[in-house]
Amino acid sequence: MVKSKVFADVWVVIAAYNEARAIALVLAGLAGLPYRVLVVDDGSTDGTADVAGRAGVAVLRHPINLGQGAALQTGIDYALLRGASYVVTFDADGQHRPEDIAGLLAALAANDADFALGSRFRGGAIDLPALRRLMLRAATWFTRATTGLALTDAHNGLRAMTRRGAARLRLRQNRMAHASEILHQIAASGLRYVEAPVTIQYSRYSLAKGQRASEFVVILLDLFAQRLHP
Amino acid sequence: MIAQLLLSFLLGAVLVYAFSERRRSPVVGVLALAAAAAGLYFVWMPAHATTLAELAGVGRGVDLIIYIWVVISLLVLLNLHLKLRTQTEAITSLARAIAIAEGLRAHSETQVAPPAHYPEKWEPVFGKDHAPAKP
Repeated sequence: MVKSKVFADVWVVIAAYNEARAIALVLAGLAGLPYRVLVVDDGSTDGTADVAGRAGVAVLRHPINLGQGAALQTGIDYALLRGASYVVTFDADGQHRPEDIAGLLAALAANDADFALGSRFRGGAIDLPALRRLMLRAATWFTRATTGLALTDAHNGLRAMTRRGAARLRLRQNRMAHASEILHQIAASGLRYVEAPVTIQYSRYSLAKGQRASEFVVILLDLFAQRLHP
Repeated sequence: MIAQLLLSFLLGAVLVYAFSERRRSPVVGVLALAAAAAGLYFVWMPAHATTLAELAGVGRGVDLIIYIWVVISLLVLLNLHLKLRTQTEAITSLARAIAIAEGLRAHSETQVAPPAHYPEKWEPVFGKDHAPAKP
């Protein structure tokens, strides 16, 4: 167990869009852990911000829906403004386990790294459907080929980073292509990164909110458009 | 004659548009400028268009002009797409600034630094940087 004293000012950033049903449980799981929790409500219309506010965590609210990438960047900016030493990104739909955060922070310290990226293929993936596994494998291969990062899981929303690492991120992909963009920026930063095992618990809810095969095409188009627009 | 005048008017408009876009996006501007100028020339010199079309293996001069028009349309489309992205980024910066400013006000139960931003990370959207620099 990692002592909280070692990792002062850890901010857990959760981007949430219409997650009122799931987020209370996620926040309850994080309560009692030695982290500051920040929910960025990305213009939800179902009262996500109110649910989070009742849980007693810090809430930021985008006036309009911009996308997960934009919400994460807002949360990271805010955490840095408030003096965060470490920033963790965590999903709002309940598929991440709060106890994995300590493992990521430990991996940062043990490897003197600035980014610790969760990998479900080093850890566990519970109830992961075969098609989803195949899609994730393909995405990982694509990312390895384009960024040169040696990763086993390219699209995992659970990450920890140091203040120095977080300050190097400047996400411009508002939509889902930000997962690839983060990796590109990690590669470009030249800072040290490490993978740490995490367990992803798949549920009918998280699968419904997750990526469909058709959205991979949209992600590829987003990434291509970015190349045209320096 | 009516068709030629009409086409000349439209291509003239493209010429003006391309000229005004030249400063923002030189590549798009110059390409559209060249395409529109070529179009104007062939509208008034259909015989030359036919000669050139035969050289290129297209068949008719009219077809060649239609192809040029298609190219111009695609360039304009690309240009619009890039403009839209720029605008989206401006809106994102604005929404982010609002969210962070409200958050700082709402969560001011502890001592909070003023909302300094990071000039090395974000380029000012409206030219001049009014925010206080990072302490």
